[in-house]
Amino acid sequence: MFIKKYIQDIWGAVKSLLTGMRRTMYYFTHHKEIITEQYPDNRDTLQLPERFKGEVVMPHDENNEHRCTGCQACELACPNGTIKVIFKNEINAEGKKKKAIDKLVYHLELCTMCNLCIEACPSDAIKMAQTFEHSVFDRNELTKILNNPGSKIMEGVE
Amino acid sequence: MNGSTIIFYLLAAMALVFAALSVTTRQIFRAAIYLLFTLISIAGIYFWLQYEFIAAVQIVVYVGGIVVLIIFSIFLTQQTGEKLPKQKTDRKIFAGLAVFAGFALTILQIYQHTFFETDESAITPTVQNIGTKMLTVDNGGYALPFEVISMLLLAAMIGCIVIALREKKNIEPQRQEDREEHKRIV
Amino acid sequence: MWSFSNIANNIHAWLGNNFNPTMTLVIEMVLAGVAVIGLFAGLGLVLVIMERKVSAWMQIRLGPNRVGPKGMLQSLADTIKLIVKEGLTPDGADKFLFNLAPFIAMIVAMLLMAPIAFAKDFQLWDLNIGVLFVSAVSSIMVISILMAGWASNNKYSLMGAMRSGAQIVSYELSAGLSILTIVVLSGSLSVSDIIYSQADGWWIFKGHIPVLIAFVTFIIAVTAETNRAPFDLAEAESELTAGFHTEYSGMKFALFFLAEYVNVFIVCAIGATLFLGGWMPFHIGSWEGFNQVMDYIPSSIWFFGKTFFLIFVIMWFRWTFPRLRIDQLLNLEWKYLLPISMINLLIVTAMAILKWHF
Repeated sequence: MFIKKYIQDIWGAVKSLLTGMRRTMYYFTHHKEIITEQYPDNRDTLQLPERFKGEVVMPHDENNEHRCTGCQACELACPNGTIKVIFKNEINAEGKKKKAIDKLVYHLELCTMCNLCIEACPSDAIKMAQTFEHSVFDRNELTKILNNPGSKIMEGVE
Repeated sequence: MNGSTIIFYLLAAMALVFAALSVTTRQIFRAAIYLLFTLISIAGIYFWLQYEFIAAVQIVVYVGGIVVLIIFSIFLTQQTGEKLPKQKTDRKIFAGLAVFAGFALTILQIYQHTFFETDESAITPTVQNIGTKMLTVDNGGYALPFEVISMLLLAAMIGCIVIALREKKNIEPQRQEDREEHKRIV
Repeated sequence: MWSFSNIANNIHAWLGNNFNPTMTLVIEMVLAGVAVIGLFAGLGLVLVIMERKVSAWMQIRLGPNRVGPKGMLQSLADTIKLIVKEGLTPDGADKFLFNLAPFIAMIVAMLLMAPIAFAKDFQLWDLNIGVLFVSAVSSIMVISILMAGWASNNKYSLMGAMRSGAQIVSYELSAGLSILTIVVLSGSLSVSDIIYSQADGWWIFKGHIPVLIAFVTFIIAVTAETNRAPFDLAEAESELTAGFHTEYSGMKFALFFLAEYVNVFIVCAIGATLFLGGWMPFHIGSWEGFNQVMDYIPSSIWFFGKTFFLIFVIMWFRWTFPRLRIDQLLNLEWKYLLPISMINLLIVTAMAILKWHF
């Protein structure tokens, strides 16, 4: 019936509006729930979420060794050409020529932090760091070389 | 001349000046705004007479209703900033003559009319008195005019509803045809 | 005792002793004008910071917290910024009307202050149609919005102005009808009479459910009339950039902004006067002790407390609900609020005749 539906409509509207108002009143009275980060002030105690992605880095161990085999999977996976792998030929202990990375060039200014390179890497050589204060005065500083100078590949990583 | 008289002449001058401006301006929206100022000045005169209720009704009906309606129709039909074409001279002369004739007629009537003085004390224009007068049927009551006006309003309302309903029926089949044609074209 | 009406009477007596009547009247008018402008400035500052803090806390944010202690001077800093900024007038605009519109908005807001009773026997103008005066004069408000929208010569502004016109004209009806319920119950249009009729209890308690319905309708309708979210279609940042005041900047924009907040204050003051008893203290039946304690709280505190409570409720709406679409807005008014308030008015009239209220 028309009247019944009309009253039901009003009742439903009032109920749903009151639900929303109860939620905002809860937040209004519970200041502990405030999620604002007072960023430059709380730099020392800043807690970033686990999955926050700031930039791509290549971890090195204490012997200045990384895990990158130079397979180019990351370069292929990158949607906008952020990563370039430059090779050099290395002669290993057995006298064989072996391909290894010379530089892993990373253009931070192009990177969208999509995480596809990290997922593509078969040897877990690169990962996402949580640094985020990237502003610089010279754009060239954003082109980074991820492997340290003189570093070489870790034993046993193929 | 005391303060009260000065205020009256100020309000009267405002009403006249804005009325003249509203018919002479060539921008239609400005004409509506000047009309608004004229009506507000007249409401001011009612306030000056201490007819507060009439003044408030003047503002509600004319400013809140009629001027808003006029402005809406200007919004829907006109372009901003476009001036209206200049009037022809013969039209100006005719308009001037018509205004003069109307003015002369009014003045003549006022001068010829003999106003009766009354000993009865004036009725204070409170809402209560106005309401009672409006609905009394004995001498001095306004029940009949009130009912006639309400009949007029009722007729107008029914007319509006009839027009609105008929329009819809005529348009619907047209729309249906349009839709079918659209389908055929697609 | 120390009260607003005593201060006003003392000033009046002192002026009467030292000047002639005309001079006294002129000085009193100037004083009243200065007081109203001062109240405007104070209200603007307080309401803006209040809105920003309330909105922040409701959205789990901190809100302004840099200028002054806890950010309380933020709106003062914003005011100074707005005063210093250049007030641009667009080339294609109708310059006279463009510059006139913000002043009309402001003058209307000032006129609306006249019949409001701020404390016991403290009122600028106790005219016998106070409530009707408010609803009449507030209808001039829409003209300033229409004027601003048209004179800007901007499509967004025009759209905003038209929406606001349709909205205000239709919501005035249900606001008027809900005001009428109280007029019917108290039998007077004068603000002071309505307040005195609530000496034995506020209408919202005395009037049972019909007055409660009228109160809810009133709050919804005035939220729409003051163009605030969820009825802010006239501004609608996400659709019309800023609606009717898109082209305004600097102090001209600030006047519109201030007028909006002052209007919110005024409609809440009217709501508090009609439904919550204005400056009347809270009394319960025959509890003499309790009633006397309540009487010790000054009447101005009662008035401003109730008004700010209603302002908080309106802000609560604003930061909870999403904006309505124009057809939903008009449906709400013509299909729900208006029939409900009409039937409600009938019930209240029957109640007033049969003396069913307390």
